[in-house]
Parts: sequence; C-alpha cells; structure tokens
Amino acid sequence: MHPREDQFWLLVSLRLSGEATAEEAATLDRLLHERPEMAARLEATSDWWTHAAPRNPGLKKGALQRHLQRLNERENLPPRRRGGRRLFLFVVGIAASLAGFAFFFYHWTPKLSAPAVAHNSISTKCGSKSKIQLPDGSQVWLNSDSRLIYSETFTGNAREVQLCGEAYFDVAKDPVHPFVIHTNTIDVRVLGTTLNVRSYSNEKNTEAVLIHGSVEVTLHSDPEKKIILKPNDKLVVPNANLAGAKTAKPDADSGRTLNLGKAHFMSRDSSAVEVLWVKNKLAFDQETLETVALKMGRWFDVQVVITDDSLKHMEFSGVFEEEALPQVMEALRLTGNFHYSIHRRVVTIRP
Amino acid sequence: MRIALYEDMKAYKQLYELLANGLYRFSYSMVRSAEVAEEIVSDVFIKLWQMRARLSEVDNLKVYLYTIARNCSLNYLERNADSRVIGLENLDNAAFVEGANPADLCISADLANQMRRIVQQLPPQCRLIFQLVREEGLRYKEVAAILDVSPFTVRNQLAIAMQKIGEAPLLKDVLLKDARQKLAEK
Repeated sequence: MHPREDQFWLLVSLRLSGEATAEEAATLDRLLHERPEMAARLEATSDWWTHAAPRNPGLKKGALQRHLQRLNERENLPPRRRGGRRLFLFVVGIAASLAGFAFFFYHWTPKLSAPAVAHNSISTKCGSKSKIQLPDGSQVWLNSDSRLIYSETFTGNAREVQLCGEAYFDVAKDPVHPFVIHTNTIDVRVLGTTLNVRSYSNEKNTEAVLIHGSVEVTLHSDPEKKIILKPNDKLVVPNANLAGAKTAKPDADSGRTLNLGKAHFMSRDSSAVEVLWVKNKLAFDQETLETVALKMGRWFDVQVVITDDSLKHMEFSGVFEEEALPQVMEALRLTGNFHYSIHRRVVTIRP
Repeated sequence: MRIALYEDMKAYKQLYELLANGLYRFSYSMVRSAEVAEEIVSDVFIKLWQMRARLSEVDNLKVYLYTIARNCSLNYLERNADSRVIGLENLDNAAFVEGANPADLCISADLANQMRRIVQQLPPQCRLIFQLVREEGLRYKEVAAILDVSPFTVRNQLAIAMQKIGEAPLLKDVLLKDARQKLAEK
C-alpha cells in the first residue's frame, strides 16, 4: 500500500462531503497530478457518492397520518409514567379497517348492524393504554390489550361501540341518542354517564362499574332481563364462552350466578379500585393470583406463568403506582410467600 | 429551518416532510426494524410538538431532532438488548431494496452494490457517520454533536470509510483492466 493512501482518502472524503479547505483542495489536486492513476478511483467513488440511491428509501406511505393520529392521542393522555415502559399505540385507520374489520365485526358481534358498514377500530397492545375521543365528544380510556370498534355512522341514530377488553367511558350527554356498549357477554345502554367496563375474553367474568348517572344492562344469556345500575354499583357476569363455549346449554349457564355488588374504595384514593388504571395505577382488590397474573401480563407486557394450581386461588389486594415489574413481584412474594423468577419477558411463579 | 412552530400545524407538517425520512433512515440503521424506526420518528415529532413553546432556545433544530432520535434508538436497543440480536442478519438483506439508478451511474451496478455492501459492513459508528454525511448531507460538526463525538473523529472515520469503499475488489479489477488496456495500446 502506498504511504500516501490514507491521506489520499482523507482528502477525497473531505472533498466529497464539502468540508475541504482551500488548502486541502489544493493538496488533493497536487496529489492527483503526481499520481494520475488515483484520478480514476476518485472518479468512481465520487460518482457513487453523488448518484447511488439511499440504501433505505424512507418511511412507508401514510406515516404522517399515523403520526398525527398518535400525536393527537398522546396529547390527551395523562402524563406518562416514568420507568421507560413502552407506550405503543397501534391505531388502525379507517381505510385499512374496511375489509378486515367487516369480517371481525361480523364474527364477534352478530348483534350489531350490517357488516358492510365501515368501522373504526382502536386497539392497544399489552403494556400500553390510549385515550380516544369519539365523534360525539365522548371520551374513552382504553386499557392494555383492548379493542374498541365503532361504525363510521356512529353519529347516526344510535351510538354503538363494541368492546373487547377494558375501557373507561365518559359518555357525552345526549338523551335522544342512547350510547350502547356491546361486549361478548353483556350490552350496556347509557344516556350520559361515566362507567368502567371490563370484558377480556380470557377472563372468567365481565364487569361493569358505574361511576355517575344510570345505565341499563342486558345480558346476552337472558335478553329479556334488564338490570339498572346506580352509581357505584358493580355488576359481575360470568363469561359464557370461556370454558366450553357454544356446547354449554343455557340451563347449565344459569346455574352460574351473576353478582351485583358495590365498587370498592381504598382509603388512599378517591376513585374506586376498579378505575384506578385510568390514573395509571395498577390495583388488585381481593383478586386471585390467576387474575393478578393476567392483569400484570397486560400491564407490563410480560407472560406470567403459575406452575402450581394451588397458588392460583390465593387472593391479593394492593395498589401500585410507579413500581416496576420487579418491585411489584417482590411485594406480591412477601404477602404470598411464593418464589418467582423473571427471565426476559416471562415471569414464573412457583411454590 | 427555523420555522416558528408556535401552534403552527402547517409549518409542523412541512418540517415533518423535510426531516422525517432522514430521521427514519438514521433510526432504522440503528434499530433495524421499520416499525420501530417509524415509531421513533413519530416520538421525535411528538416531543417536538410538546416542546414547541421552547424551541427558540434550540440552537440547531436539525441536530436537536437527530439527537432525540439517537437517544430513542439507543434506549430501544438497551431495552431489547437480548431479543434483537437474532434478527439482525435477516433484516439486513431483506430490508434494503437497492433503488440505485444505473442510468445515472457510470460505474457498473455490481460495483455500486459492492460499495454498498462495504458500507453495511463498516463498524456501527463509522457507518452512521458515513450515512449522516452522505445521505443526509449533514456537516461534520453537526454529525459530531448528534453522535456526541469530536468533529475530528467524524473526519477520521469518514476517511476510513472512503478508503474501505475505494478498496472494493471490483473497482480494482476495473482499474487494472484500464491500465492493461493502456499498456496494450502502447
């Protein structure tokens, strides 16, 4: 290798990037004059420098729209908690939802209007939450791993949404157009009110907690029966489809009780335990470890495995605000007297 | 560059159009995932929007945004340190669709590809420096500020990158052939 090789390439790089001083430019010219065979190299590299396309073309189409939607949602969110938890919002736009969601929609909710109508769908992944404003002004906080679907004609006669997962609704008052929340187990009909609905398909029960106003709940298993909730009422309905789904006879189902109770308050907070998640607090209220595991899985975006069935029925209560996963696990371990390990995104709990 | 962003959505969108692709390419070459890189760019612009009242304090907006993108990318890599390693190679080849325009190039497509591969195989810092200077047209001192290194490092690393690219085997072949031809003519 020629001793001046390094210097040559330094000068070339300075020239190509436009950083060469007059003196450096002169040195390069002199070098090229002395060694004309270098000129061909400069020519080839400089040709490539100026004309080769970027290795990576850039953002995919629609990125600006997706960004503006995220910006819009983020602006309405409560301050993000510290600790570097990812807050990924995956929002499916109107256009994209047309064909795909017509199918999903039909599949999940034969009760709701014709499947040909376009739907908006908003979903959250594990470890993230989102706040949405519906076209009628109603506000919806969507908890982790949840999906809210509403039709494009939402502002029409009935305001109807389909919920899978958990959401807190602050429904805009409109006595003429009732707001209906459909879940797999119950339908909740409201006029203008605040309530929390929790209906995860992998949990045993669907719950509705009313904060203000009044709502009317219809059970899918018994459509004739209407239940009126008053503020702080909490309705718990077993999810029919968890165990054997369609094969279970209605008679067998009626044996399972639905439970009308009260929302729980803990001394520290003015809000009911059921809606603390809206304030970014992870709360357990005499919940079994099995439910706690599901909640934590969604909250921290991890998989929680319980190796021994006897542990699943232990009950836990507690509120966590800023705590990271290891702190929460440590607190639970102290009360539950079990062992656990955290490896990557899997938490294993054993006796 | 210094568009007043005070509540001005139009200016904000223009700035996005202007810088988003460069920021995306930059983040992409660090995180190696189109989705994550897009999200990082989005995060950067969300931050910009939240900061809009204090933008007058920012010296060089472009450098500022690239710095945020770098920090977001590093955070992401740190969080996903163990799970990312596997995917790197697959992504590398699949994701880069070469958009070279052979019509504009005097050198052969093979040679251009070889040079491109050399860039990909540069050490990470060297590759980022090269990319920021060539593809995004940033000045040495801007790159230095973004990557938190001295301008001298940028200058040296770029020289190293150029030398490696200049040593592409195909380029040598071409030059050798040229020389032989000249010799034969004589």
